[in-house]
Amino acid sequence: MIFGVRHSVAVATALGTLGAVIIAVLTWKGAQVTSETFLVTTYIGLFLGALWAMYATGLVVVYTTTGVFNFAQGAIGVFAAFFYWELHVNRGWHSILALFVVVGLFAPALGVVLDIVIMRRLRTASLVVQLMVTVAIMVLLLSVVGDIWEADTARRVPYLFGINNGIDLGPSQLPWHRLIVFVVAIAIAVAMRYLLRRTRIGTAMRAVVDNRELAALNGARPNVVSSTSWALGSMLGALGGILIAPELGLDPATLNNVVIIAFAAAAFGALKNLPMAVIGAMLIGLLRAHTVAWLDFGSDFRFAHLSIAPLLLLFVVIALPQARLEVGRLVHHLRRHERFTKWWEGLIGCGVIILLAVAFSGGWLNFLIWDPGAWGSRELNSANEAMALALIGLSLVPLIGWAGQINFAPLAFAGFGAFVYLKVIGAGWVTFLGLDRLGLDPQDIRDIDNGYWILLVGLLCAPLGALVALPAARLRGLYLALMTMAFAQAMSLIFFPNPWVMPIIGTGRQFPHIELFGVTFDDRRGFFLLLMCVFAVVVYALVLLRRSRYGRRWMAINDSQAAAATLGVPVVWTKVVVYALSAVIAGIAGVFWATVSGNVDSVQGFDLLIGFNIVLLVAAAGVSIPVAGIFLIFIPLFTGLGHRLEDSGNVDFLVTLLDIMTTYGPGMLVLGMVFNPRGAIFEMGRGFSPILPWRSDARAEIAAENAQKREPEIGELGIERPFTPEEVIAIDRRLGILDEVVPKEGYGAARS
Amino acid sequence: MNTETANPLLELIGIRAGYGTIDVLHGVDLRVMPGQVYALLGPNGAGKTTTLGVASGQIQPHAGSVLLDGHEVNGVSPDRLARAGVCLIPEGRGIFPNLSVAENLRMSTYAGVSYKQVQERAFAQFPRLQERRNQMAGTLSGGEQQMLAMSRALSTDPAILMLDELSMGLAPIIVEELYEQVASLAEAGLSILIVEQFAQAVLGVANEAAIMLHGRIQRTGPPAEIAEELTAAYLGMS
Repeated sequence: MIFGVRHSVAVATALGTLGAVIIAVLTWKGAQVTSETFLVTTYIGLFLGALWAMYATGLVVVYTTTGVFNFAQGAIGVFAAFFYWELHVNRGWHSILALFVVVGLFAPALGVVLDIVIMRRLRTASLVVQLMVTVAIMVLLLSVVGDIWEADTARRVPYLFGINNGIDLGPSQLPWHRLIVFVVAIAIAVAMRYLLRRTRIGTAMRAVVDNRELAALNGARPNVVSSTSWALGSMLGALGGILIAPELGLDPATLNNVVIIAFAAAAFGALKNLPMAVIGAMLIGLLRAHTVAWLDFGSDFRFAHLSIAPLLLLFVVIALPQARLEVGRLVHHLRRHERFTKWWEGLIGCGVIILLAVAFSGGWLNFLIWDPGAWGSRELNSANEAMALALIGLSLVPLIGWAGQINFAPLAFAGFGAFVYLKVIGAGWVTFLGLDRLGLDPQDIRDIDNGYWILLVGLLCAPLGALVALPAARLRGLYLALMTMAFAQAMSLIFFPNPWVMPIIGTGRQFPHIELFGVTFDDRRGFFLLLMCVFAVVVYALVLLRRSRYGRRWMAINDSQAAAATLGVPVVWTKVVVYALSAVIAGIAGVFWATVSGNVDSVQGFDLLIGFNIVLLVAAAGVSIPVAGIFLIFIPLFTGLGHRLEDSGNVDFLVTLLDIMTTYGPGMLVLGMVFNPRGAIFEMGRGFSPILPWRSDARAEIAAENAQKREPEIGELGIERPFTPEEVIAIDRRLGILDEVVPKEGYGAARS
Repeated sequence: MNTETANPLLELIGIRAGYGTIDVLHGVDLRVMPGQVYALLGPNGAGKTTTLGVASGQIQPHAGSVLLDGHEVNGVSPDRLARAGVCLIPEGRGIFPNLSVAENLRMSTYAGVSYKQVQERAFAQFPRLQERRNQMAGTLSGGEQQMLAMSRALSTDPAILMLDELSMGLAPIIVEELYEQVASLAEAGLSILIVEQFAQAVLGVANEAAIMLHGRIQRTGPPAEIAEELTAAYLGMS
């Protein structure tokens, strides 16, 4: 077994090195390598490595001591850097004082608040909820920074001791700041290693993650220990942010993206091994510095050097063994009994969606917006954008919601679909394959109804999904999240910026208006209706799929892979199918997404944050419920309202309120998952369903719940007095026994 | 031992407790006198573990009071009780699987004893732990894990020791070895509350026994008498 693991790592390392060497030979710049230039490049690499090591240390410490992989670690650094700028540069405080206030007072306070308000409630939450909530904290912190320190002024955090003072190294100078950063990074890593392994509080921090109750039985105060852990992690993030800001500049997105490099470094140490994480960071730093110095990827691959970290992350996650990741993790299932939507209910629901869409696009729901007279293309355009994103979000429903496979790369799948569509309708492949010589005219291809091509795009996207599923088959939880994130990042840096893939935006549309059944959808209203119809059809297909035997397989895998396997479910194959299905939906959605504006920005359009936002919004609405995606339609309603208010210019309070809602709303919604992990739509459905005349089961459930509230103790399980039928139903619901098991007429009738 | 006049070390009076809205204990009365070894026996689901949960502060009772050496300790957190000398070795290997053996022992020092003392006593009693001191506790065998869990009881000089299903899933020879340790602790005068599903293991050590059924203590008495009734209780004839 151990030999097997070592063997696979060795083979993977050899293949990776071989690939790197081939790329290096192909892209060699031809610059002369002297010992001086080589040394200077190495210094730069080590310095970069030290910066990233600091972030990676924070990440590893937080993960080891809290059990939560904190996607917001970078955002804490961003906030701290801006706060430091405010105190030191804007208010003129001494750098040491400002550093102390931010790192020594503010950061630990932030960590403790995060722990008490959010993290404590996340302890028994599922991994999906945990990840979503830390991503939401990241998004929220970044929007707070954007709100307080608006991007209209240029800011710089000065180097400690200036950039011009330092040690002379012959060809160049090593500034004090960089030397300090290097020393501090190594010192922090050593100190943290000592703290975690050699002190009692460090041991207790790890013990609390392992078994909280037992830690208390030993006499440690679990709440104090985990608050300390969060305070420490927050301090490390803050210090990293402040020290890295002079190098990268005070730009929230740039500073935040550093965290992805730190993810890669942390993955080197299997997320828990500090020395290996530091070595990983140094390795990435050296690779980056030497790549920039000696290799030239050409303009088509101009971001390739940035993709070193995501590629390494992908590589490490796939190659490294992941023993003992999930040991002793208790996941609390908040599962009520599961009710499947009936086929005719789905049909009615989808009909209602389409009717609402007709009313909305026809401007008949004018009371929803501020100024009915001005209702127009702006609202429809943002509605189209939102629904295209909702359509992409639907691809996550079977994947995350049912099969429990975390995926941060929906946008990469969608972009791939858009790319395939562009190539297919471009008909360049006809001449490429030599089919024109067989009498096939490219113009005939272009004239074929787009509907066929869109379905073909879906089919062509399936293999990509299956490809991602292959490593996913042996990955779980967090590693899966990291792998898909690295995949999305690598695609957005290497694949999409290539002009052959996504042509540079010029004049006119790259993606022509869609033509279906002889109708060209060239106005916004028609396209909106088309989008809503496609959305309704996909939702209905998912509703039917969920009712099917195959749909239950995915839920079985989500609940317990081992149990599913013993029942004869082929786990790997089932996962491959769900990834392929997700890629099909995302690919088709991508076609519509690209067609909304007709062009896709090949650089900005695939930013990782957009992908995160899709996942977040779908998760907040309720990732296991197909129709939840329609939630996104509220975005254009709010933004449209905001535009109108701004135009009218005399309702400052409302403008501010809406501004706050659109800036912080999505993040706050996701934070709602802390209290309500199944999403907003689920709770809304619970409130709504008793109104429907045929849902007597929902009414009975509410009645049983109310009865339970009135009588807090059910009693001594049938011993003191006989059960009433309502109590039996209440117990069945609590235990999650399915509808089908309970006789339709209830127990009371059967008994009498 | 003068169990008639002394204050009970641990006393539960009319405890009602459970999980969520469902009560498991319906009025439990129990007293452990200083120096007594009290065996709480009963079938699965009788409420034995819940009783220990209440006594150690992990579960707050809905009604009744928990007295420790005559002081009411209702609502006191489990970590405070642990530092005050209540030592519960929970059911199913009370260890931290991702910590090394030595780090597991270091956690015992929260009870107010030195790391040196913990190591010395644990390694003296269980030399096998010393051999494996840098190994992850989760990779130990079941018996070794239970020894590691027991070493907290041996090294921290608790006021009262509570053992939950010490014998569960272990080979008879290891159970015997562990109960020898319990017996020597008892001889040294420690008060012990033992919960077991299978009586044979404890009856040699205990000097008081009780049968628990349906969340109530059905009968208390000398271990030999209780043993006879236990079979009947298990078969549902009580």
